[in-house]
Amino acid sequence: MQYISSSNFAKFLENLKEDYEIYVPVKKDDQYFYKKYLDFTDDVVIGEIRAFEPLKSFFFRAREIVAENFKSDIPHTSQKPYCIVGVKACDLKGLKIHDYVFKNHNFQDPFYINRRKDNLIISADCTTAIDTCFCLALNVKPYPLENFDINLSAVGKDFIVEVGSPKGKRLVEKYSSLFGEVKDKFLSQRNEQREKVTKVVEKNIKENKIPPQDSFKGIIEREYESDIWADEADKCVECGACNTICPTCHCFLLYDQKSKNQMARLRIWDSCMIKDFAQVAGGANPRPELWMRLRNRFEKKFDFFPKVADIYACTGCGRCISACPAKIDIRKVLKRLVHDE
Amino acid sequence: MMNKIENPYRPIRAEITEVISETPTIKTIRVEPKEPIIFETGQFIELTIPGIGEAPFTPSSRPAIKDIMEITVMSVGRVTEKVHELKKGDIVGVRGPFGKGYPIDKFKGKEILVVGGGCGFAPLRSLMYEFFDRSGEFKKLFFRGGCKTPQELLYRGEIADWAKRKDLDIKLTVDKGDSEWKENVGVVTTILDGVEMDYESGIAIVCGPPIMMKFSIKKLLDMGFKEENIYLSMEKNMSCGIGKCGHCRLGIYYVCKDGPVFSYDKIKDFSNIWD
Repeated sequence: MQYISSSNFAKFLENLKEDYEIYVPVKKDDQYFYKKYLDFTDDVVIGEIRAFEPLKSFFFRAREIVAENFKSDIPHTSQKPYCIVGVKACDLKGLKIHDYVFKNHNFQDPFYINRRKDNLIISADCTTAIDTCFCLALNVKPYPLENFDINLSAVGKDFIVEVGSPKGKRLVEKYSSLFGEVKDKFLSQRNEQREKVTKVVEKNIKENKIPPQDSFKGIIEREYESDIWADEADKCVECGACNTICPTCHCFLLYDQKSKNQMARLRIWDSCMIKDFAQVAGGANPRPELWMRLRNRFEKKFDFFPKVADIYACTGCGRCISACPAKIDIRKVLKRLVHDE
Repeated sequence: MMNKIENPYRPIRAEITEVISETPTIKTIRVEPKEPIIFETGQFIELTIPGIGEAPFTPSSRPAIKDIMEITVMSVGRVTEKVHELKKGDIVGVRGPFGKGYPIDKFKGKEILVVGGGCGFAPLRSLMYEFFDRSGEFKKLFFRGGCKTPQELLYRGEIADWAKRKDLDIKLTVDKGDSEWKENVGVVTTILDGVEMDYESGIAIVCGPPIMMKFSIKKLLDMGFKEENIYLSMEKNMSCGIGKCGHCRLGIYYVCKDGPVFSYDKIKDFSNIWD
């Protein structure tokens, strides 16, 4: 592990600009948003909590052209690879799920792969938690342990640097003059901080009685015909916000448009909460009722993914809780499913 | 930063070489793709109407014919209505083939019963030609097909030729006959009795509307067919074709990549498979 001062980190980013398009979290009101990095301005916040938008936005675009006419090339923009700074552990888990879907599966998605390839993930510890954070229930710690190139733990204004990939190692070595030895007192400061944040999330979990991941096995099958679904879906307005804001949701809609040449095929994020999501042209719909679609959303995350990829497709980031206008709370649904109440 | 992986969302340009009216609501289009699309019977393709959209179909043509593909389409939705407006010379797009078709090699030396209903004749036509092309490999072949009325019977001329084949035992039925209809009247399950084969070891292949498949399976199981020997072609909202877009999930499978052909034992425990 190494150490970097914030002024040296700014220099580090300045150097990275040549090869990367850098995005950093900035604080605006009470939220954090990724913004293209120009300078290490005062609003740049590396620690604290996850950004408002899920990390997937960078690699699995909300809307993009995937085919034009019958041309065999892959439409793309000739931009530099992304360097995303300040990514939190929950979003790294989301990335793992998207990698499974788009990259490591039998079929590969060239658009995702092109954006993921050569990118640089500089993650960071959470230095605080908000009341919707429940990552620990999904076995995600509030500080990254894997899937990063470089991780930063904020200590005061400066950072402890941990390398997580050969690419990260090469970069730290390349700019070695910016990095220094970590003093023991900073290491213990980091550990204290990690413990402090862990306790906050534990308190959230305790207060909301959120069951741990170990108790999720079989809950969807067991509660498949339960009234919980209709009860929870009662106020759903079918807006799809839970899907769009979710770092693991990957479903998309392909649709064609007339373009000046002939045709353009676009893909946009889709939502399984929308009525016609699974409907076929003849009109048959496996999930005509809203509660069935809510159940499907949970089935996908807590039954399908653990069965096919041995992972629960929830990161405990709590974004869907904040996004839902009907106040459908994933923590409460899980609690009800686990306790059959 | 180009990548060697092919673009799975790009359709291949194809020209319509013929449009055949099968019934008042069903047409078969013959397309000639500019690059060969080699499919196995039971796999599906996505047909693009440029600028309008695409929809999944299992080709109804002989897989052995590589340069031409036939797609039988019922006009039921936004894309299929446009398919019905196509004329010879028009340009469409084809993506695929996708998924898993019928495991023909597993059927070698076996007695096979093919049960078709209505639009389900389309993929089965492709399958039947595959069987005919490999006729000697199977012990015995039965076809039992049904549709609502004689007017809705697909491929009538060809089926008349099938009836002359020595390697096929064929019976047809309609829900409602007319003065010229000489064969059975009743739903398709009424002509499954008396198929002279060993049900325990036999293969059954069912394709048709969900309700028809549901009742056919019930009947076939009653007759003694094994769950793992009953093959179905599932219709879900297949879109991307590569198990990514999420629309066609069925239990732990995506119909587009793990199907559309499944043996019944693989999917029977999922809820609402017929909805």
